[in-house]
Amino acid sequence: MSTSASSGRGFAVLYTLLFFAFLFGPLLIMTATAFNSSSFPRITPWECFTTEWFGVLIGNDRLMQGLATSILIGVGVVAISVPVGLAGALALSEISPRLRPALYTILITPVLIPGVVLGISTIVFWGKLGRTLWGPTSTFFLNGIFLTIAGQVAFISAYAMLIFSARLQRFDPTLTEAALDLGASPGQAFRKVLLPFLRPAIGSAAFLTLLASFENYNTTVFTILADNTFTTALASKIRFGTDPSLSALAVIIIALTLIGAITHEAYARRREAMLGGPAARSALYSNPLGRIVVHPATICALLVAMAGMAVWKGSQYDASACKTRIIEEKRAIQERLLEEQRRRLRQQSVPQAPAQPATPPAAANPSPFGGAFGNVAPGGSAPQPAPAQPPANNPSPFGGAFQHLGPGAVPAPATPSAPPPPSPPPAANPSPFGGAFQNIAPPP
Amino acid sequence: MERAKQILEDFTSRHGLGVALYIGASVFLWVVFLIVLPQVTMIDYSFRHNLPPSQTGGPEDVHTLANYKYFLFNALDVGVLIKTVLAAAFVTFLDILICYPIAFILAHSATGVAARLMVLGLIVPFWINEILRAFAFRVIFGATGLINGIGIGMGLWDTPIDFIRADVALYSSLTYSYILLMVFPIYNAVEALDRNQIEAARDMGAPWWRVHWRIVLPVAKPGIASGATIVFMLTAGALAAPQIIGGPSNLWFTQLIYQWFNEASNWPRGSAYATILLVTCLAFVLLLMKIFRVPIGAIGR
Repeated sequence: MSTSASSGRGFAVLYTLLFFAFLFGPLLIMTATAFNSSSFPRITPWECFTTEWFGVLIGNDRLMQGLATSILIGVGVVAISVPVGLAGALALSEISPRLRPALYTILITPVLIPGVVLGISTIVFWGKLGRTLWGPTSTFFLNGIFLTIAGQVAFISAYAMLIFSARLQRFDPTLTEAALDLGASPGQAFRKVLLPFLRPAIGSAAFLTLLASFENYNTTVFTILADNTFTTALASKIRFGTDPSLSALAVIIIALTLIGAITHEAYARRREAMLGGPAARSALYSNPLGRIVVHPATICALLVAMAGMAVWKGSQYDASACKTRIIEEKRAIQERLLEEQRRRLRQQSVPQAPAQPATPPAAANPSPFGGAFGNVAPGGSAPQPAPAQPPANNPSPFGGAFQHLGPGAVPAPATPSAPPPPSPPPAANPSPFGGAFQNIAPPP
Repeated sequence: MERAKQILEDFTSRHGLGVALYIGASVFLWVVFLIVLPQVTMIDYSFRHNLPPSQTGGPEDVHTLANYKYFLFNALDVGVLIKTVLAAAFVTFLDILICYPIAFILAHSATGVAARLMVLGLIVPFWINEILRAFAFRVIFGATGLINGIGIGMGLWDTPIDFIRADVALYSSLTYSYILLMVFPIYNAVEALDRNQIEAARDMGAPWWRVHWRIVLPVAKPGIASGATIVFMLTAGALAAPQIIGGPSNLWFTQLIYQWFNEASNWPRGSAYATILLVTCLAFVLLLMKIFRVPIGAIGR
């Protein structure tokens, strides 16, 4: 019994670790690519540690303009969808139980409708409304920011509504009744009893709706028309070529998220301690220094300071020395390869020359590409048969040079410099390429 | 109308006239102008010809089935729709498999700090932009990406494997993106389970899989249904991930809609395709809910 329980526990721990590795692995990898100087986001091969991609990111005008548009839209969406979501939640909680499922279904559908569909329906509807009201050529409502707010509010309000509903379920309606009995007007009871109870939910709803608006792509990409939000600018940047400045963006977002999360955790622990009774509270307050250090504001300020320090250090960092070295190294590697090729060329032509007259044509290598295509992958387009030549003078300018060629990169055969002698008899050597294609798979 | 007036009076007596008007007007505007009328207009639009603005409302502006006919007789597009639905179902299934254990662990094994850290760990990746999440998978699975780099570096294979064409990258990214939306509904459902029931079953000698099959799963079912519905709809309606890491020859149905709308400027046909996507997905979800006997009210709880 106990062994099965402990093995279950072991499995739970292992599974949890694997799960979070899957969850954080991609983010860590992306973070690492932000600091690699390679112009394509990757880890292997690692070139130089650099911070230049952050500069590239900030210098991207389109993204920065999109950011401004996104903030504008986000503020508009929060300002509308939080009150609308609250109204929806109140209506749901107090409507007669017979009508509730119907209203709930209607209000929850925007969450389920694909964002693409919502975006299209929004443009089509407002475009048509404008034409109906102001004539067939009217584009009155066809404004990217207005349409995006309309499209996003349709479903983001439902998110807010779900948050408010969850909170309202814990509300004790007798509180309102008590307030009314004590002489409060219904409006006062709403403002002084229900709204304060809902305040934490208002905060989280505002935060969540802002985030949802900022992140949204599927609806916005239609409704924004010719304009750009941050997310749509980002998407079009990724679609038409990537560089690690996007990873740099991810690093910034992750850093902000972590600061927020840690501050929130500190806040939650502090509140727990405060509610945990005198003992826990006095532990928090006994040491004046500790009291300041564990305060959420201190922790947040510390983290922000650390981030600022990292930014400052990063802006001072200069990767140019390392980058020059990398370029030098690459050049050195190229030089070495070239040198090797030359040597191989020489080695090939020296021993073959004397052996030439004695060997039969099949053994010799009559191709002008002498062994050059040894590694050509199957399916690579072979060159048209070139005039066979005696290997005596092995005149190929490519001798051995193309061993690493991929398929499709085969150059046209060079014109032989010497007049071609008669081809060797086919019986002896059926192929003009001799043994050059030994690694090529037989044609299907 | 009578009923609406009565509901309004109800609210007035509870919260005052101002609040009642605010609730009534907000919900009315939301439902009518942001939910119902746009959908109705889009469906109406999908039955029309693609006319230049000068001819709209003219004698040629009549209803037609041409857009739907075009879809039905286009084997390629029908194939894309079927593939999208099946792939979304597959991704949803993967998410259920991945998230059920973690939701159970979170609800019944983790305590205190560990549980809170797990919740934070679940939420943090979800704050990263959807686009960047897809981008991360491109970094991992690209031709010069991490996996190919490691594989070639270790000599496991020597030409880069095209994970993007094989849609491996796309499915991984979609599975990753919606994990949170699967974990929390299942967690909410499983949390309500009384731990003593599990203990009792264990004491009577039930193996772990039977404990889950007979005790935990029935409780988790509404949560799974809710999570699966949301994940399926989001996956089938995903546009960013297929655009960024979808294979070049493998389209997602939303990309067809995007093409009709933004590249071909054929709004009626784009509307028709959007309607087709909506109806197909809703029908698929309702069908599955019928099969698994889950009420629609369970969604979003």
